[in-house]
Amino acid sequence: MGYFDVPDISYTRYTNRQLAAVPLAVLAVALLILSGSFLVTGTPVPLGMDFAGGAELTVQTTSSQAEIEEAFSVEPDSVQGIQAPGVENQYTVQFAGIEDQDAIQELSSQAEAELAQDGDNEIVQQESTASPSFAAQTQQTALLGLGVAFAGMSVLAFLLFRTFVPSIAIVASAFSDLMIPLAFMSVADIPLSLGTVAALLMLIGYSVDSDILLNTHILRRGGDFYESTYRATKTGVTMTVTSMAAMLVMGIAATLFGVELLASIGIILFVGLAADLMNTYLLNLSLLRWYKFHGVRS
Amino acid sequence: MSANPVGFVKEYWRVLLLAMFIAFALVALFIPGGIMADDSLAGDLEEDEANQSVEERMTNIEYGIGLDGGTRVSAPPTGMMVDNIDLESEQHSELESSLYTELDLETADATVRHHEDEDRYTAEVFVDDVSAADFAAVIAEYDADVSEDDVENGVTQDTRDEMIRTIELRVNEAGLSGGQVYQEATVEGSYYIVTEVPGMSPEELRELLSDRGDVQVWAYYPDEDGNQTNETVLEGEDDFSRVGVASYNDEQGYNYVPVTVDDTEDADGNSAATEYQAAMNEYGFTSEGIQQCGIQDREAGEFDFDHDQPQWCLLTMVDGEVVDAHSMGDRLGSNMASGEWANDPTFEMITPTQQDAHQLAVNLESGALTAPLDFDRQQTFSVEPALADQFKTYSLLIGILSVLTVSGMVFLRYRNPRVAAPMVITAMSEVLILLGFAALIRMPLDLSHVAGFIAVVGTGVDDLVIIADEVMDDGEVSSQRVFESRFRKAFWVIGAAAATTIIAMSPLAVMSLGDLRGFAIITILGVLIGVLVTRPAYGNILQRLLTDK
Repeated sequence: MGYFDVPDISYTRYTNRQLAAVPLAVLAVALLILSGSFLVTGTPVPLGMDFAGGAELTVQTTSSQAEIEEAFSVEPDSVQGIQAPGVENQYTVQFAGIEDQDAIQELSSQAEAELAQDGDNEIVQQESTASPSFAAQTQQTALLGLGVAFAGMSVLAFLLFRTFVPSIAIVASAFSDLMIPLAFMSVADIPLSLGTVAALLMLIGYSVDSDILLNTHILRRGGDFYESTYRATKTGVTMTVTSMAAMLVMGIAATLFGVELLASIGIILFVGLAADLMNTYLLNLSLLRWYKFHGVRS
Repeated sequence: MSANPVGFVKEYWRVLLLAMFIAFALVALFIPGGIMADDSLAGDLEEDEANQSVEERMTNIEYGIGLDGGTRVSAPPTGMMVDNIDLESEQHSELESSLYTELDLETADATVRHHEDEDRYTAEVFVDDVSAADFAAVIAEYDADVSEDDVENGVTQDTRDEMIRTIELRVNEAGLSGGQVYQEATVEGSYYIVTEVPGMSPEELRELLSDRGDVQVWAYYPDEDGNQTNETVLEGEDDFSRVGVASYNDEQGYNYVPVTVDDTEDADGNSAATEYQAAMNEYGFTSEGIQQCGIQDREAGEFDFDHDQPQWCLLTMVDGEVVDAHSMGDRLGSNMASGEWANDPTFEMITPTQQDAHQLAVNLESGALTAPLDFDRQQTFSVEPALADQFKTYSLLIGILSVLTVSGMVFLRYRNPRVAAPMVITAMSEVLILLGFAALIRMPLDLSHVAGFIAVVGTGVDDLVIIADEVMDDGEVSSQRVFESRFRKAFWVIGAAAATTIIAMSPLAVMSLGDLRGFAIITILGVLIGVLVTRPAYGNILQRLLTDK
């Protein structure tokens, strides 16, 4: 039967170094990708219209995808057909990084002029534009928000456990949980939008859950280290895998329906939670094991 | 089960609390009018409409523009200001006129405000082509301490309040209900004016916002030397006490707005009406100038200011553009000449088209926008109602799919419907309570809120898994005491996890990041309701189900 069981990983077979090596290597690769992309393009991840200025239009038209690509004075970054039940001829057209405010404003009238109308429906079904200076403002706000959220989470981790190693283990794995999906976005060319920022913030909250669970079981409960670990893993993996499944379904469905906000939240959280599985049960665990057997002096 | 009601309440207070919340949520959601049938925020028109649509709608949930269609435009006011200017009170208007003349500005484009409570003055200019240095130099003539460094970008709170009020009036005049105008602060301390109107296209809304709406009436007449000159005779909202609706004169076939000129007398016994009447008499409008205006070609909509004959025209100016030029009528002219007009100071402002008349009425009614909006720094979001309806369906579908996935996973993991079923039901009741809450406070729901609901289900199930594993740990739950102790352990973890989620989300809840505020607010509320109400109740249910043999 397709029952889902949490496997009992035999941690005893591996040293702390071996356990930590995998997540650290992945983190290193992620950081490498982000800095490489920063050097080449100027930003670690591609910026969407929310952060770079530009426009996103949802159009309903009988024109073909190729015709849509030709219809604008600025070449769109992407034209994506919407595949939802009962919906035809809808496309999402994205433009990011347009410097000229007037050019942004004109896009929707170009769509109305160049594209063929589908029955009585309005051609431009959705229009979202941001001028470059508004976008720069948003970018700053989002960075500050992420910074404050991460700092707040770190402070709280220290307040909860009041010891250095377990707290820093939480902070380190949360950091890695953020960097890996960012690198994924860079590779998969998913632009940073308000939705992905929301997902990253949510990830700070979600990823800490399993870390706190693990730390609590190991540090605050009596009993054998491996026994506590197994229990925490059983609960924690259930949690994370359940959330991952929900996010994957939401990400896929929302991508098909063209609901950008929900799609990016779903996909980024899925990747981030996968990274969290690795970080919690390899990185955090190895740090805790080291702390429990070598780090505590009494 | 004990027959003692006190014992029952003591043991199951968590479940009872949950049941109470669910009941409240259901009432707030489904009973028309909800718990608070308070429509005081909405206008009369809106109320009627709301009552009508309540009958059609299944729930009391309100939708934002993302799920209902409409447009939102955010843009900052244009302008800069110098605060804390040291002025003598008689210099107030002197500084104002210096700003007009030395910076070459229209009177609407500069203002000096006196804040009486703190006795300080603030000077503002509402254009972007004046340099900060020039602006500061003019003020420095009055207050030598002012330098270029004191010039701040942006306008005062008073100006923004006036703008918000003006825009609100315009939105209401446009006959659309449910519009919202508010300001949002950025990290840097500058402000954006955000206007949300359901059922308006971005072009319409931008047009409504980009008109300054500064209405003036100019007298165009030959002076003593026979040269045509302009004189402003009526200006802005101050000079008009009542503005009627745009009308059409059937007999003579013209569009007009009936207006009443303000006849409140000042200390000298003068009013806008008497001054207007005196000016008309002085400039000859009521004598040789009657019916003497032929510069407008109404068919072509053109004006000809190059003419041989002397002309006596009343020019209706909006934002410095001539909208209409008409002559003084016979009856009005003789009424003014006799001085009777000032006792009943009404006249008709004629416009070329019906649309002009409507626009003029709106501009006169709402007043001029104190500062224009800077559309170079704008953000627009707009959804057609048809697509918004699709989004509603999609959201519901995506929500259901997510819940089904979560349920499926939980059933696969526990294989015991006694554990899994209440888990799924509890997680869904969290969403129900949140929806009820949103309906109660009339929070307009958007896609970002939907994302929040899904996130709440996610964290909710996480916590329920923690509770279930902890409570079922090490075999049977033999007594209330064992249960309570295990439950407390679990609660420590979910409490800590909830605290981090709230901390991570709180910057979003207070910062102005557009759509994301709704997401953050719903997530935080969901976590709070979850930790305080629903998740403890699940523990209770689980205990009952596991100990009930």
